[in-house]
Amino acid sequence: MSTKFDLNDDSVVVIVGSGAGGGTMANELAQKGVKCVVLEAGNKLTLDDIENDEWAMFSKISWLDKRFSAGGWHGAVNHPNLPAWIVKGLGGSTVHWAGVSIRFQEHEFKMRTTNGDVTGANVIDWPITLAELSPYYDKAELKMGTTGEVTGMPHLPWSADFKVLAEGARRIGYSKITAGPMSINSVERDDRPACQQIGFCMQGCKLGAKWSTLYTELPKAEATGNCEIRTNCMVLTIEHDKSGKVTGVVYADSAGTKQRQKARVVCVAGNSIESPRLLLNSASNMFPNGLANSSGQVGRNYMTHMTAGVYAVMPGEVHMNRGTAVAGIVRDEAHNDPKRGFVAGYTLEKLALGLGFLSAFLVPGPTGWGRKVSGALEKYKYMSGVWICGEDLPQEQNRIELHATEKDQYGLPAPVVYKTDHPNDTNMRNHAYQQMEKIYNSLGSTEIYNLPAYPASHNMGTNRMSEKARDGVLNKWGQSHDIKNLFVSDGSQFSSSGSPNPTLTIVALAIRQAEYLAKEMQQGNI
Amino acid sequence: MYNSPLQVGEPAVAGADFTRRRLLKSMMLVTAALALPALPPDAFAAPLSADQKTTLLRVARDIYPHDSLLDDAPYQAVIDAILVEAESSPTVADLLSKGVEDLEQRAQHIYKVNYTAISKPEEREGVLRSIELTDFFQKIKGGLLMGLYNNKALWPKFGYDGSSWETGGFIDKGFDKIDWF
Repeated sequence: MSTKFDLNDDSVVVIVGSGAGGGTMANELAQKGVKCVVLEAGNKLTLDDIENDEWAMFSKISWLDKRFSAGGWHGAVNHPNLPAWIVKGLGGSTVHWAGVSIRFQEHEFKMRTTNGDVTGANVIDWPITLAELSPYYDKAELKMGTTGEVTGMPHLPWSADFKVLAEGARRIGYSKITAGPMSINSVERDDRPACQQIGFCMQGCKLGAKWSTLYTELPKAEATGNCEIRTNCMVLTIEHDKSGKVTGVVYADSAGTKQRQKARVVCVAGNSIESPRLLLNSASNMFPNGLANSSGQVGRNYMTHMTAGVYAVMPGEVHMNRGTAVAGIVRDEAHNDPKRGFVAGYTLEKLALGLGFLSAFLVPGPTGWGRKVSGALEKYKYMSGVWICGEDLPQEQNRIELHATEKDQYGLPAPVVYKTDHPNDTNMRNHAYQQMEKIYNSLGSTEIYNLPAYPASHNMGTNRMSEKARDGVLNKWGQSHDIKNLFVSDGSQFSSSGSPNPTLTIVALAIRQAEYLAKEMQQGNI
Repeated sequence: MYNSPLQVGEPAVAGADFTRRRLLKSMMLVTAALALPALPPDAFAAPLSADQKTTLLRVARDIYPHDSLLDDAPYQAVIDAILVEAESSPTVADLLSKGVEDLEQRAQHIYKVNYTAISKPEEREGVLRSIELTDFFQKIKGGLLMGLYNNKALWPKFGYDGSSWETGGFIDKGFDKIDWF
């Protein structure tokens, strides 16, 4: 079934992007009978294209258009053109994500109320609560096949590598140690097979056991006859009329030709760098600072999570590559307790790297070489490691800006991505390094490597929701405060980063937004 | 249209091979070569001498030392690939000849011998640390990162299994077995 909509059909909802936000919007709207066109910048891969090869898949799926890293984080030097590690392709970053599906905690929607004003940060409460989002978390988990109580699907079995982390965590007194929730089938479900512990989850799941919009939401949306998906179509600008309502988008099609697709509504879901960039690149006489930007907050408050890695050589063999990439989670530090020297919390997520990535990231950048590095790599099969993922405070100066002179392949100003740690991030990271040292010491390991942040896969906050229009870009439905038929449907909506990996919350928000949007369209309000 | 400088129906993509070039550049930058100003290419760069090629091999072995795990072959393969590149690229040829020359000068300055004659590995590493941010060094380091650690033929030596989907993953192959604690 391949429905086609006319370029001049101004009754459609145009969705920019096909990842967790865009892909979910497409299916939710299409199931409700709302006609939509998905414009995806990347191309379409199938499971046949997926390899168990880190660098081969890096070059196949990564977003490698011209971008610049800036600010105080090490990546401004070590990853100057790769601020973020996300996907350009159908399914977006749901091809790459590891499947971790943790809900926000109640206080994570209320960081301003919980901790008051934090110097140097731009903290607000979300305009929604956990109670309001909970039913949509349930729907998201059922949709994605998240292991746990809602689906009744058991968590995945513990790999040897996770047993190492779990045992160390237990020895230092931790108890919140689980192999889920993960949106990876532990049993056959939704016409997708059960996980075979292949590894390489983040190179695209070869089996389709891990949820991705690529082979769930998007084909289901197409099957309704209400959704057309156009790949290799990069949206360049969003257009509006004299009243300020958006009227459609101009995009470069697969042949590089500019096309104009008219629209009744535009939903932007290009991830937290491209979404604000598109709004900024759509500046007009009427909106000289970019669309939806009366607050000046478009592109601001860029959050990546406070992240780091810790890898250690164990006294016995581990073979961390054998099994799911993120085989389990420890959540004993996920609460908010300022007595630790920082507000908010973090999780410890077991993360396996292959030899290719470990060699590049153990000591990243131009100085990562020498006998210490090569010696560690010789002990690959004894290594175990985690990814630390904690709440990152919003700061106005962490932002996406348009480069003054550098252009991308479409002739549009390239994005510059500014990121500098808040002291809270630094304190939290150091706390996590100390805890990991205790965990690995307890297992008899003394050879421990602290890794700085990778290029960010969790990108959030650059079009944030806010109660008041002056504090953010979107209302509690992800609808622009300024333009009522313009929505943002991805992680750039987040008012705060929370500590959980963002995908589950993006999907829950999209289900909720689609419900609201369909109702508003039906009632003629949009 | 009130806000679009763009006209539909026009080509929007600047260069056909732009994406490929960006991709290759980004791949290199993941391994993070610093963007130092390139030396002016010398069209008449002399080919490297046998001694200079020996120095390059020593440098390669010193960047990622695996004294007992790996023989010269994988290191030599990386150096050979760069030498082949230098045959058609005056820029690369120049980078290599000037890079080796500079390295030898530093070795002579500190130890009064050629680089390969510095006997202590940590002293050779010290000399290399002084040039680690140069394009010359990063060219070799980048090649090695892929040639040693992204080299499927070498993975068994490191105890890394690589691709597993063809054989059904590890679910029935002891992915959960651990016995040392």
